[in-house]
Amino acid sequence: MVTQPPPKSKKKPQLVLNIFIWEATQNKEKDLRSMDGASTKGVLSHLSLLEVQARSRKTQPQQPSRVKELKAKAEALMTQRDQLKAEIETHKSLQKLRASMDKQRTHEEEEEEMAEDSDNSQLLRLMARHTQLKDLLHAHDIIGGYNIIKTRKGKGLCISLTTAYNGVYLENYNLEMDLKPTLRISRDNIPPFIPLKSLAEQSNMQTDIRTLLDPLSQHLNAFAARKQQFKLVKELHKSVQVMESNALCSLLVLMFTVPREKTAVLCSLEYTDHTRCLPTRVHFECEDKGLPDSPQWKKNGSLLMETPVHKALITMKKMGDIV
Amino acid sequence: MMEKMSEENIEDVRVLEAQIENLQAEVAALQRQQQDNHKDITFHLRGHIQDAMSYVCGQKQAGEKEKVLSKLTEEVEELEEDLKRQTQMNGISLNSCTTKTLQSSGRQLVQQLCVSGHCSELVFQVEFQLSEVKKGQRSERTISDLNVVMDTSDLQNFSSFLSGVEESRDLLLFFRTLRTFSDRCDDRRRTFQHFQEKYPSVVSLPGGCRSAVMTLNHPELPGCVLFVHWSVEVSREGRVTPKIELLTKIPEKALQLFPSQAVSGAAEAFQSLLRILGPEAAVESVIMAVSLSQDT
Repeated sequence: MVTQPPPKSKKKPQLVLNIFIWEATQNKEKDLRSMDGASTKGVLSHLSLLEVQARSRKTQPQQPSRVKELKAKAEALMTQRDQLKAEIETHKSLQKLRASMDKQRTHEEEEEEMAEDSDNSQLLRLMARHTQLKDLLHAHDIIGGYNIIKTRKGKGLCISLTTAYNGVYLENYNLEMDLKPTLRISRDNIPPFIPLKSLAEQSNMQTDIRTLLDPLSQHLNAFAARKQQFKLVKELHKSVQVMESNALCSLLVLMFTVPREKTAVLCSLEYTDHTRCLPTRVHFECEDKGLPDSPQWKKNGSLLMETPVHKALITMKKMGDIV
Repeated sequence: MMEKMSEENIEDVRVLEAQIENLQAEVAALQRQQQDNHKDITFHLRGHIQDAMSYVCGQKQAGEKEKVLSKLTEEVEELEEDLKRQTQMNGISLNSCTTKTLQSSGRQLVQQLCVSGHCSELVFQVEFQLSEVKKGQRSERTISDLNVVMDTSDLQNFSSFLSGVEESRDLLLFFRTLRTFSDRCDDRRRTFQHFQEKYPSVVSLPGGCRSAVMTLNHPELPGCVLFVHWSVEVSREGRVTPKIELLTKIPEKALQLFPSQAVSGAAEAFQSLLRILGPEAAVESVIMAVSLSQDT
């Protein structure tokens, strides 16, 4: 950041004089302290000498060093400006190159023979390609791809699985695998209630690792979705009591309160298909034996089978069926 | 003499100060423009690409070019390898990903992404907003405003799933389902093509090998046709289910001649066959029957 220098040229001599006078006064006090008697005459002559010096300084040209200073500053700014212009131009070229590269990939056209219009065209193409590759790799990650990294100098693999629900990215899970003698899982942080071992046995992972990863991802994502739904029930629906749930999030027992009569309804949601995040069975229990068979509650049963539980509860509240 | 020098200098100073003011304004404007540019295309200006940028903008010696070029080439080659591996692993080919930064502060980054590509024969384009908020050690990523474009002219099953996925912003579910759907469609195509090659006189694919219908008929009985209808259905939840049915088109006269259940009950019988033998074997046995082949 460049700051404006204060316009000293007009005030400077006066300022200098004031400083000298102040210094002289300091000296005067020092003199008074160090010697007895009237040394004021010595001080005053000192003072008039300083005054003469100051006046002579006033008429000398201060400007050359000032001009030099400003010239240097202007040069620095010009360099900065030219540098920025070069960067912006390069950025523009890269943008153009990148746009044409993206188009080529989409329409699978032959790589255009670009005229050697500048010494740097090869370097620029490489730079544009670099940004394109980085963006594509980032996209693979964002869309939930299996991130694969080679480890231990090619002897191993580390695979990362992403989970997400309703637009929120949740946990990542990892598998570490040995490549030799056969492909084999060495370590993982998959929760124990996910049947990793049996999925591996049922898969064809030696020839196609996706036969393991796809079902595994399905299990993990369904689990993450159910877990997130249960969390949202607790956060958004304080009037509904969560009586029971389990680590796998395959069972949820809720206690509803019916408004007006204040009856309690116990609702059990069973998620026996662990690749899904909707229940396979909904069951109501109530002291009022007729309630679960009422049309309203039959409707609620279907709602809970077809809609994620935290959303279903919002509807049920709106309809006035629960508190 | 001294006064004259002062006058000139005062004039110089004034000129220079004006020049400096202009330059400062120019630099500020250029800096703003550069910031805007960086929102359209983000360069991860670290390492070798930073060196390349400096070289191109004249900040480095001419002799450095070879070094910069070779380092960058090496890095680009590594990235190409990574992309190949990633594409194979995910079963999805991406053509382009453009990122536009909408907001970038210390703790929050909001970007608009547009990703296009294909999964086997299925072409897609997705556009969404990605927010990344730092919360302590972790950063929370969320997607909003998801828009999915696919040519669903022959994917009636898919459209209800697509609108559901846009509403729930389940980007990952979309891609998982897309890939599974594509795999099942590929299974169908491979099976249909295999049978057409093996029994060319009996099997035909009127809609092409990617269609859902395979017709079977004996060349000497053109009026009697059996249709194998193999659809791949996608539920709103994203579950992919292949459904195979056998349909018959047999003239009334023929049905009157053969009142036995074997002909009119073919569709149901096929379902049982499916359950016992599985799709490929079940279809093959029907083909064998139609071809009136003596082999068993």
